[in-house]
Amino acid sequence: MSNELNGLRTKRVLEPAGWVLQLITGLVLAVLVTFHFFETHMIHHSAMEYENVILRLSDIRYKIMYGLLLLSVSFHAFNGVRAIFLDTNYGSENRRFVNILLFLAVIVAFTYGLLLLFSF
Amino acid sequence: MDVIFRVRRFDGEKSYWSDFVIPAKKGMTVLEGLYYIKENYDGSLAFRASCRMGICGSCAVKINGRPVLACETQILHLNSTTIKIEPLDNFEVIKDLVTEFDGFFTKHEAVKPYLIRKEDRYSEPEELIQKPEQLYAYYKYSLCIKCGACYSVCPASSSRDDYLGPAAMTAAYRFIADSRDEGDGERMQIVCGDCGVWRCHFAAECSEVCPKKVEPAKAVQKLRFRSSIYMLKKFFIRW
Amino acid sequence: MRWLKWFEFRGKSLFHISYSLHRLTGIVLVIYLVMHLSYLTSIRMGREVYEYFTSITLTPAFLIFDILLVLAGVYHGVNGLRLILHEFGLGYELRRPLLYLCYLLTLVLWLYASYQMYLFVMGV
Repeated sequence: MSNELNGLRTKRVLEPAGWVLQLITGLVLAVLVTFHFFETHMIHHSAMEYENVILRLSDIRYKIMYGLLLLSVSFHAFNGVRAIFLDTNYGSENRRFVNILLFLAVIVAFTYGLLLLFSF
Repeated sequence: MDVIFRVRRFDGEKSYWSDFVIPAKKGMTVLEGLYYIKENYDGSLAFRASCRMGICGSCAVKINGRPVLACETQILHLNSTTIKIEPLDNFEVIKDLVTEFDGFFTKHEAVKPYLIRKEDRYSEPEELIQKPEQLYAYYKYSLCIKCGACYSVCPASSSRDDYLGPAAMTAAYRFIADSRDEGDGERMQIVCGDCGVWRCHFAAECSEVCPKKVEPAKAVQKLRFRSSIYMLKKFFIRW
Repeated sequence: MRWLKWFEFRGKSLFHISYSLHRLTGIVLVIYLVMHLSYLTSIRMGREVYEYFTSITLTPAFLIFDILLVLAGVYHGVNGLRLILHEFGLGYELRRPLLYLCYLLTLVLWLYASYQMYLFVMGV
């Protein structure tokens, strides 16, 4: 009866890598989101004015920080959604579809955000 | 003191509640109350029980919302005049408080819960030496009585039918952590899969309800760590 | 609708409730992420579009939404740090104190952040 448990492929390294990356991006986000909140709400009151926003987006150091934030959050969010889907019977039957769909979501979110970072 | 037992009944078609008045005495357990109902009120009440001393795991039911062993729960300790008794969650109900346990046992068997040695030398049996520290590494996890309480509160089990569950994975870890066992590879195949450790997100409710304090949540986390090392090693070694 | 069982809190310990809240705040934050990324494109569309959006969202009326969002974010982050520790197999014996610490930290950080947002939006 152990053979009846559906296709358990251990050839893929997706699962532990996904888990470890979820934790690492979680740590990165804990730091960067706090910094992002600080930056926009606590350094100076004029931080949200249009000119200051453009100024930050044009600075290479901010670009790198925002890029890292964007990559981490895209992966963490959609890998989290993937975990939610895989916790259901629907997810267990359509594993390949769920993996591909959410992988695409990560790519779309990341490139969409990069577009913004690179237009300044 | 009289208490009311509100029991969730199921006759194969419809679900309903039945109320019974039980003359509870000090030291009387919920299981004794259920037997009282069967003997005095309604002989058709169905429930599982065997040892009545907390070792067989048959009588796990949901009492006032929490899964416990009925034989170990004293009525007057519940501090409630109405005791709500329902079958365990996440199991299909056959009748009244009796649920389908086949799937639960299938998953347990799937992790190969027996000692695996590379060579079986039955003609020249040798004693397998184990130090006390090696025993303590897995002893707690061997105390599972397969009552199903952990499985009934696990959120992953509630939404996914093929999830192995805390009990099966604790059994897997009990053998993997056993110094005498040499069957890591075979068990890892099952627990590293999509229906194994990766569905656990540490709700840790299993450890809260286990009547034997087996701490399945801890076993699953340790198993998770071992699985990730195992899978990453396999991937990179093949490379 | 079996996924509703993830959010069942009756008869469950604080550990399970923390799991339910972690999942709920995660979903809320994903939805917010999508909104935030679209909102940011207003920066590319020029000053008028950006300032139109900020004139709606950076106001005292919207503060309540921001405060709830920050609660979700802080809870998810702090609880997530607790989960990282436990999922590596560490600190299991200390799980009860760590859980209470997590809630305490969430409360303190949330109140501080909300206060900062209040000051910001009131123009103080």
